[in-house]
Amino acid sequence: MIEVNNLHKSFAKVKALDGLSFTAKDGEITGILGPNGAGKTTCLRTLYGLLKADEGTATIDGINVLENPLAARKRLGIFPDKFGLYERLTAYEQIDYFASLHGLQGKAKHQAIETVIKDLEMTELAHRRTAGFSQGQRMKVTLAQALVHQPKNFVLDEPTRGLDVMSTRVLRNYLARFRENGHCILFSSHVMQEVAALCDRVVVVANGKLAAQGTPAELCELAGEKHLEEAFVKIIGSDEGVAA
Amino acid sequence: MIQFKALFIKEMKEALRDKRAMMVAMMMALMAPVMIFAMSKVLISKATEKPAVYVKIIGGEYAPKLIEHFKTTNLVSFDSVPEDKKDMWDERNITLTIPDTFAKDLSEGNVIDIIFSADHSDKAMMLPIRRIERAVRAFSLSIGYKRLMVRGIDVKLLQPLNLIEQDTAQPNSSPIMITMILGMYLLMTAFMSGLPLAIDSSAGERERNVLEMLLCQPVDTLKIVLAKLSSASAIAVLGVVLTLTLTTVAIGFVDLAKIGATFSLDVYIFTALLVLLVPICVLASAMQLFFAFQSKSFKEAQSTVTMIIMVPAIMPMALMMMDDRPKWFDWTPIVGQSLLIEDLLKGIPVGWGMIGFAGLVTLIISAAFVVATAKKLKSEKVVLALS
Repeated sequence: MIEVNNLHKSFAKVKALDGLSFTAKDGEITGILGPNGAGKTTCLRTLYGLLKADEGTATIDGINVLENPLAARKRLGIFPDKFGLYERLTAYEQIDYFASLHGLQGKAKHQAIETVIKDLEMTELAHRRTAGFSQGQRMKVTLAQALVHQPKNFVLDEPTRGLDVMSTRVLRNYLARFRENGHCILFSSHVMQEVAALCDRVVVVANGKLAAQGTPAELCELAGEKHLEEAFVKIIGSDEGVAA
Repeated sequence: MIQFKALFIKEMKEALRDKRAMMVAMMMALMAPVMIFAMSKVLISKATEKPAVYVKIIGGEYAPKLIEHFKTTNLVSFDSVPEDKKDMWDERNITLTIPDTFAKDLSEGNVIDIIFSADHSDKAMMLPIRRIERAVRAFSLSIGYKRLMVRGIDVKLLQPLNLIEQDTAQPNSSPIMITMILGMYLLMTAFMSGLPLAIDSSAGERERNVLEMLLCQPVDTLKIVLAKLSSASAIAVLGVVLTLTLTTVAIGFVDLAKIGATFSLDVYIFTALLVLLVPICVLASAMQLFFAFQSKSFKEAQSTVTMIIMVPAIMPMALMMMDDRPKWFDWTPIVGQSLLIEDLLKGIPVGWGMIGFAGLVTLIISAAFVVATAKKLKSEKVVLALS
């Protein structure tokens, strides 16, 4: 479970987060929606413990990120905003590296890597160096390394950027499976259809504040619109930064 | 420990697979024998040869025997200067004026004024000038001796003291040069070899967007820095070992005795040099990581960090210019090692205590850099610079 409570964060004169609060529950996929610059990435980086909030708390399974970042990160699988690959390593080696960083070793590690590779249908890629991988292949490697230690909580920062339909489906199916197993998934995206199709609950963020939250249907009802996109625009009060 | 092992293995794998970085890393080592051969060839030829000096002789025809004598010591008339050197010798403008009364004065026993003009402030001219002075003096003496001998006087009377002059300027300064250059070269190797890796694993990773992912993992930043430091220094040490080995081999082929050098790279010197240079490798990598992590891009890191390389090059040179250096200098990193390396190569035995102490100080300073870098990586500034 991921809880964000009254987060404030300013950079010089810019207020990136202004009292943001929301909860992402276990067994649910929670989507964070917001225009560019709404504070999504700042919020997620605070969750990883990379940034320190000026005020408020972020907890992961009850562990305060600020007080104990290493323990909190152990329970997180992170798909960051910008993901690169170690291009001189093979996909397998890279997943192995992150598994070891999470303390896995020996047979258990090997087993975990094999499982995640099989689940993401990337057996053929596994022993190739990642230089020259396609966007979809890169996403798979990043996802595999984020999830190899089977974390209770996932945080994905716009994971479907630049992905083709097939890769998006692999990702969706994979996330849905984890939801069924009771994991907590927090997911930021620009793509309305995707959020509508995948998320159980949606948190709309604008200007560093919570603008609205609820199921996609509830949000539509709240705004009196049929489509989530229209509802979203109405809730945040402008159509700036909304990608189709 | 699992984490550190994983971090270290990953860094080493990446380093060894980066062929270009490895090439650069090992370049210093591979260039060492070339440098030694080139340097000793120049020094040996300088020490043993007497290159021709071209003198503009005015009135040479009045003193053919003097000219003949000049020729035996390779002092040649400017008329026979080869075309490619003509400009240089013309500019040097060494002139010797022999009066037309030479033969007459000689037979009458008068003092003959020979006018020798050259630029005495030009360093390159010092040797030619000395050779000409000597040649004239020797010729003059030989005539004087003959005059005395024909009068039945023992020439030894003229020489109550015999000053045996040895030309220390030339051959003996060469080994000092060779030790200085070799010492500097070794320090540079320690600084250069780990450099590509240090930049690649810090600023390079940031540019490839993998640093953020690493910082999000449940790993202490100190471990990250230590792993990166270990791998960069390991490569640097590898470069140093290779340089020392190749140098030892190369020096075996050079006749150093010819230039009066006395050192040889035996097991003691090899080990002592290695023990001296390993902490330098660590310090170099620690400094490079510290500065590279702070730069915004790979390119910026390259230019900042390259400036650090100047340190080991400048230090020994600065030392050379200093006549009285304070005692504490011996304990400062790089300077201390540089002095000890010089002593070792001069054949002065150096105690292990000194070597150990210099190393210890260097390692303590490296540790400070590591802690500072680890702290930096936790700061928001670094995170914000990620994108």
